[in-house]
Amino acid sequence: MVRVVLDSWMAEFGTPKEVALEAPSIGALLDALEQKYPRLRFRLRDETGSPRRFIRFFVDGEVVEPTHVMRTPLRDGQTVDILHSIAGG
Amino acid sequence: MAEKKVRILLGTRKGAYIVESNTQRKSWKVGKVLNAGDEVYHVTADPRHPGHLYSAVNSWMFGPMINRSKDWGRTWQEVATPLMPVSKARNPSFDLVNGEIHRPKHALTNLWHIEPGHPEEPETLFAGADPHMLFRSDDLAKSWSPVTSINEHGTKKDWGPGAGGPCLHTIIVDPTNHRRMYVGLSAAGTFRSEDGGETWRAVNKGVETPFQPTKYPEVGQCVHHVVLDAADPETAYRQDHGGMYVSHDGMRSWDRIGKFFDDDFGFAVASARSLPGRAYFIPLEGRSRVTTQGGLQVFEWNDERKKWRALMSPKAFPGHFGVHREGMNTDPLDPAGIYVGTTTGQLIYSPDAGKTWRQVPYQFPGIHSVSVTVG
Repeated sequence: MVRVVLDSWMAEFGTPKEVALEAPSIGALLDALEQKYPRLRFRLRDETGSPRRFIRFFVDGEVVEPTHVMRTPLRDGQTVDILHSIAGG
Repeated sequence: MAEKKVRILLGTRKGAYIVESNTQRKSWKVGKVLNAGDEVYHVTADPRHPGHLYSAVNSWMFGPMINRSKDWGRTWQEVATPLMPVSKARNPSFDLVNGEIHRPKHALTNLWHIEPGHPEEPETLFAGADPHMLFRSDDLAKSWSPVTSINEHGTKKDWGPGAGGPCLHTIIVDPTNHRRMYVGLSAAGTFRSEDGGETWRAVNKGVETPFQPTKYPEVGQCVHHVVLDAADPETAYRQDHGGMYVSHDGMRSWDRIGKFFDDDFGFAVASARSLPGRAYFIPLEGRSRVTTQGGLQVFEWNDERKKWRALMSPKAFPGHFGVHREGMNTDPLDPAGIYVGTTTGQLIYSPDAGKTWRQVPYQFPGIHSVSVTVG
């Protein structure tokens, strides 16, 4: 299982702070998250499948480059943080 | 019977607001901010379903989404978001073909405008978006379909983006004929449909494009906003990048009326139900895009007398104000209320058709759009 820690701002779409999921990659993890929490669909990634510009993914504390997010492999026991980036004004 | 309320619906850079008064429009109550922190380009009421409001939210974090309230804004729920189609021919937007998901190449950038359909089609809504997209829902936003006839119009190769992006921002359904529609796109111009949106033709004759070598092309005009006259749906008023215009033949041709001004650039235009034959414009300086003459000014165009009249001295609200394309609107009362939201967050209004002007004593974030509903 992968431990997923979700930004508190995502709670407006019905998500908990943490959830454990089986997923071999971040792309598969997002598929599973969207299935479990349907209101997340098109919020973390757009209709092209790309992550939204200001969503950041970390695996065991290491940032994942936006262009590599979907194919990043995951192993049992890892932690994925999905957070908003520093932006706005 | 409860007294009717006047509600100003504001879309701002940092959320949506509902500002309430009674029909006297003397004092106002500002409601709590909705979608705080997110760009809200448009909030509108659906007069066919009293109490129904829609907001077009463009979250910097979570992307475009549409919310609906069924109780005058007390509670809101997200409804379906329009999505870019996979291809010109394919619909719905997100296709499963032979077990594989096919996705569009580009995502929707921003939602600009939501327009309720004609009363004869009570379940129909339209949404305008960037990039240059019109969407239609026939189930009150449970689902959306792209209107390919305009989105892939034969003139599209000659369309360009405006400074706000390639957006479809104006949607008008003729109140006397549900099959007749108009849309305005930056920088493509205005288009008219006589068959409920199945086919469209460009209707920009007479509108100048000062930003390209060909001055009167078929398309490419950077229309900023258009409204129909309150009594005559063949008469339309247009604020274009290239000036202020009127049409008396259903937008087939346009006459420039803005030569009265040193610069007839601007974004906003409005008409009012109790003031047929009149239109309201806010001239801006074309380069800086803020008000001229040292203060905010609203001008009334009298279409019968072909005359302009200033409704406000620039000394009343001194400064350099910006007003976006949907930053001015009116209410349906008599005398008409005229409401102006500025890009620096002032909400300035007249409860008496422009005789007197006041400011709602509240500092809003920069205002994108103003709608008004009475009910």
